[in-house]
Amino acid sequence: MKHYNHIIRCILLLVIVVIGFFIARGALVPESFGVHGTYTYGYHRGDSAAEQADRYALYQGSTKCITCHAEQSLLWQPGRHAAVSCESCHGNWQAHNNNTSATIEKDNSVETCMLCHRKLNARPSTFPQIPEFGRHLADQDEQLQQGMLCVDCHDPHDPM
Amino acid sequence: MNNDRREFLKQTGWTVLGGSVYITLFSLLPGSSRAATATQHLYAFIVDTEKCIGCGKCVDACKRENSVPEDFYRTWIERYTILEDGTVTVDSPKGGSAGFNPVKTAGPVEKSFFVPKLCNHCRNPNCVQVCPVGATYVTKEGFVLVDEKHCVGCSYCVMACPYGARFVNPHTHTADKCTWCYHRIMQGHTTACVSVCPTRARLFGRVDDPQSSVYTILKKNRLQVLKPETGNEPLTMYIGLDKEVR
Ligand code: HEC
Ligand code: HEC
Ligand code: HEC
Ligand code: HEC
Repeated sequence: MKHYNHIIRCILLLVIVVIGFFIARGALVPESFGVHGTYTYGYHRGDSAAEQADRYALYQGSTKCITCHAEQSLLWQPGRHAAVSCESCHGNWQAHNNNTSATIEKDNSVETCMLCHRKLNARPSTFPQIPEFGRHLADQDEQLQQGMLCVDCHDPHDPM
Repeated sequence: MNNDRREFLKQTGWTVLGGSVYITLFSLLPGSSRAATATQHLYAFIVDTEKCIGCGKCVDACKRENSVPEDFYRTWIERYTILEDGTVTVDSPKGGSAGFNPVKTAGPVEKSFFVPKLCNHCRNPNCVQVCPVGATYVTKEGFVLVDEKHCVGCSYCVMACPYGARFVNPHTHTADKCTWCYHRIMQGHTTACVSVCPTRARLFGRVDDPQSSVYTILKKNRLQVLKPETGNEPLTMYIGLDKEVR
């Protein structure tokens, strides 16, 4: 008869361990943790996606700029740079949002243009590229001078 | 020990019963139920290598939009230069974020082109399979994301990714990678890189919406993916990939 004592103790211990496990599990595992979506790839904290979606988008697109900058937009829209977003030359809207004046980038340097128009082997040959600054207008009477800027002749918003 | 058959059968019966009660208990717990909504792969990313001019605006925009730490890239541009004697060189100075300069080559160039790269948001992502804590997952729209709060930074996923798209963020010490700008897509914008691309070399959109820019391309073009042999089934697809691109 006395052997039953051992068994009861074992069972008690087991029950305590199991209860302890569930308490620890409840405390440690985040609330929304579980399978969301396909079983193989969906095992995660469900709230995570919503948390990540809730972040301000810094780039708001050219449509945002058009609402305030009619002058540049009217030049830009029918021009050859229509595919070039305002924000790719001026940096993102967020910098402009807090303080509507001069916090946005406005770089009129040669490098601004050469980033896209420098002659490179790897560029598609159909893309308008210029080989070297000095040789830009080699076939014309006018030669480019050192210190001259691309924006002296080309309006960045309507280059041609 | 009394090893007769009746005793053995009894013990087996109890074990099976106990086990099944345990499993039922587990599946009744909140959170561990298998959700009814299946993952759908609603979006695709298309990179047209024939249009890319390597200006690096996409890399720059990505870094700003997602505050990517310096010298780490969620998207980057590789320049392949293939000489006539067959040597292939690949370079990506600063991930292409400041554009490219002409290079001096050892011989005449046969062909040269840019290949923008980013997370492929695979259908069967290796990186998700290896995560020991469930910190990286596929959302119900098909985006592969990292749960920053849950990631322990073990970097198994970094090693599992065949595309080298992941890195450990030195500030948060967690895995980091391109999210296809999940927050922007959910708010109705396109990704930051697509929004600044001047030549439409990058396109992103829904695969099931006839208005979307990728819809017709998926229907009409012949597309390739990187490293199809890995079986990851990327949803970032390429137009005009060369055989040398890895
Ligand atoms: C809410 C209206 C508004 C929107 C939207 C807006 N801007 Fe402006 N922006 C202004 C105002 C006001 C100024 C200041 C004009 C001034 O100082 O004469 C300005 C100035 C500028 C300047 C010139 C800064 C300088 O140093 O001269 C640039 C460049 C510019 N904005 C670009 C942009 C771009 C790119 C966008 C789109 C991302 C944009 N703006 C969206 C109102 C706006
Ligand atoms: C190709 C690059 C490029 C694009 C695209 C571009 N800009 Fe500019 N923008 C410039 C440069 C360079 C200047 C400085 C011009 C100067 O100093 O003469 C400038 C100047 C400006 C100014 C200041 C006014 C001035 O003349 O100094 C505003 C406002 C502006 N841009 C708005 C816009 C808006 C709005 C768009 C989109 C519709 C846009 N920009 C697209 C390069 C660009
Ligand atoms: C983000 C890339 C980008 C930047 C920066 C950029 N451009 Fe362009 N540019 C383009 C694209 C794209 C076109 C259109 C090419 C086409 O139509 O095939 C273009 C077209 C042009 C053209 C017309 C060429 C032609 O043959 O039709 C000129 C001129 C030009 N750009 C000058 C400039 C100047 C000057 C600057 C600097 C203010 C500049 N670009 C900055 C992308 C850029
Ligand atoms: C002295 C004025 C002047 C300056 C400065 C200038 N350009 Fe031009 N650019 C022109 C003229 C004029 C044309 C048209 C010439 C032609 O069709 O050959 C032209 C044509 C272009 C083209 C089109 C070439 C093609 O093959 O289609 C591009 C691109 C261009 N310029 C970019 C630039 C860039 C970038 C800079 C700054 C590094 C710059 N330009 C500086 C006057 C200038």
